[in-house]
Amino acid sequence: MSTAPEVPRPTAVPSCHEDGAPLAAPAGAPVVVLAGAPNVGKSTLFNALTGARRTVGNWPGTTVEVGRGGCVVEGRVADIVDLPGSYSLDPLSPDEALTRDVVLAEGGGRPDVVVVVASAAHLARSLYLVAQVRETALPVVVALTMGDVAARRGIRVDAVALAHAIGCPVVALDPRRRSGVDGLVTAVGTALGEAVAHPRNCHAAPAADELDAADERFGWIDAAVTASVSTEARTRRTWSDRIDRFATAPVLGPLLFLGVMWLVFQATTTLAAPMQNALGALVDGPITSAGGWLVDTVGLGGTPVRGLVVDGVIAGVGMLLTFVPLMALMFLLLALLEDSGYMARAAVVTDRMMSRLGLPGRAFLPIVVGFGCNVPAVSATRILPNARHRVLTALLVPFTSCSARLTVYVLLATTFFPTHAGTVVFAMYLVSILLVVLVGLGLRATLWRAVGADPLVIDLPPYQRPTLRLSLSVTWVRLQGFLRTASGIIVATVVFVWLLQSIPVGPGSFGDVPVSGSLYAELSRAVSPLLAPAGFGQWEAVSALLVGFVAKEAVISSWAQTYALAEPTSSHDPGALGVQLHQTFAVASGGHTGAAVAAFMVFLLAYTPCVATLAAQRRELGTRWTVFGVALQLVVAWTLAVLVFQVGRVFW
Amino acid sequence: MATSLARAPIGIELRVVGAVGPTALTRRLSELGLRVGSHVRCVQKTAGGGRIIDVAGSRIALGRDVLDAVQTVEAHAAEATSA
Repeated sequence: MSTAPEVPRPTAVPSCHEDGAPLAAPAGAPVVVLAGAPNVGKSTLFNALTGARRTVGNWPGTTVEVGRGGCVVEGRVADIVDLPGSYSLDPLSPDEALTRDVVLAEGGGRPDVVVVVASAAHLARSLYLVAQVRETALPVVVALTMGDVAARRGIRVDAVALAHAIGCPVVALDPRRRSGVDGLVTAVGTALGEAVAHPRNCHAAPAADELDAADERFGWIDAAVTASVSTEARTRRTWSDRIDRFATAPVLGPLLFLGVMWLVFQATTTLAAPMQNALGALVDGPITSAGGWLVDTVGLGGTPVRGLVVDGVIAGVGMLLTFVPLMALMFLLLALLEDSGYMARAAVVTDRMMSRLGLPGRAFLPIVVGFGCNVPAVSATRILPNARHRVLTALLVPFTSCSARLTVYVLLATTFFPTHAGTVVFAMYLVSILLVVLVGLGLRATLWRAVGADPLVIDLPPYQRPTLRLSLSVTWVRLQGFLRTASGIIVATVVFVWLLQSIPVGPGSFGDVPVSGSLYAELSRAVSPLLAPAGFGQWEAVSALLVGFVAKEAVISSWAQTYALAEPTSSHDPGALGVQLHQTFAVASGGHTGAAVAAFMVFLLAYTPCVATLAAQRRELGTRWTVFGVALQLVVAWTLAVLVFQVGRVFW
Repeated sequence: MATSLARAPIGIELRVVGAVGPTALTRRLSELGLRVGSHVRCVQKTAGGGRIIDVAGSRIALGRDVLDAVQTVEAHAAEATSA
């Protein structure tokens, strides 16, 4: 038996959704856990078993993702838990530790049946986990997948002989084509009926240490493989090998990877933008009018209710909606990359570069996507199997300069540096890359000091044609999860800002007050001294940053409101707004306008990107890491902005 | 003469004779089928100085430092000496 490090064990198998969504299986339902190595078709089997009745979310108190859903077994609903992929019960990562904790849990948290998913193509490797779970008193059912891949390689596994050798039921199935799944459900039902399993008697020598235990297991596995597997002469060079000649090769591999990244980036910017704009126009136009009309009809036209509905709720929901096409595309692309087998190759190709930041190669993808939009980028950290890497990457994503920030850079650069606008905007992107690298190194040197770069050991699954049905279903479940967790925080923040802007300080009545006389402006004035060392301690500048916390898209329109001007039709032609901005920054900086604007742009780059990114972070990392991230960004933004202004004003 | 996986010739069947390194790493390699006595083959070099290894039909990508840690001999030569 492995010696368990001190990781708190769940006292019960609790619901995995923190947001209180209804559990697919009723309380007290038998718990069936799916365990298995990565790339054996475990999640596909989970999808086939649970269909639509499932959720994907973090295990309580962790950032480890588990799938959970209901499945009818012998007339009653069983709770199916899809555990993170794990080669054994000896964990190397928090995700694998969760698998061990759940399987080895005592008392109420004990699962009722463990289904170990094993690949017929790599039987010996799959059986190590079976050997370990069979050492417990838990009923085990082995689901044997990938019979087709094995057959193509001339490997045949005799399920009956295997079951006899390992002493537990073996069901051959193909979850990608949904065959054999019923047989598995029947076997699980039978196993649920058994009182206690007969554990494998593994310790002939009582003083067996860990290495001896491993040797004993390998011996047991060899015997089981010999009894059940017949191998014909196989072709040595597979299709996957041929593709890998290019996909992982020293020069071509990185080039191909850059091409794939370019496609992903284009899809999340160019392809998603028209859909986002169309949805935005729909909300701003017909839906807003309809909402206003509805409020007027009910007879609340002149009351603050109209503002609450139109400027608060509808605007908030509208903002959430514009993210839907973007997130759906992102989730679909990730599912396709993962399902096809390319993601593992991308990880190999980029490993060396990313390992300097203490991150695996896969972390490159969310960072690239971040330059389009931070929200799907944070969700894309899901592709990292290790929770620690996920946290670090999701904390770095906000420092990638998204396209919403670009519009503000362009406006400021054309207003203040008309002759060098292009260079200034380009410099912002360089600063962004530099920030990702420096903050990454900084976090690694402080928070994750004990964590060395993991040595590269990656299983390369054979390439396969992605199944659209599976990819769409994964996309749908992830999108639902995003909407469920993100909707509350986004709508609440938009309503809150509307409320602040509606409350008058001094003359005026609720909902009928110029921005400069609102509680919102008062708050901006209160905060502005903090930003005086950075050269933009004027409330007009600070209030734009406060709005920018909600969304960077709102910065320019909020300035228009602040100065009571029409919003400029293009950020390349600031018009009257430019004149006002010149005045604000000149006053705030005591004449060092250029330095103050540069500091402002750096601050805008480095602080909280938008409330939707926070919502996505909260979903992936939990509230504590999200709050830490906000604090980190504010500290970095303030320090850099002060540095830029104080150094800059010597020259400007 | 044992050579590390990093230096072993491509495409030749090899037998693993030893692996050094942290226990967690050697245990993970064992779980993947790379342990003393198992037969492996280097398939190709990868970007970043690593290699793809054929272990019982599956393909595993290993980084440079992992390759250095695994000692092998040519499988057929090993059989000849032990006979």
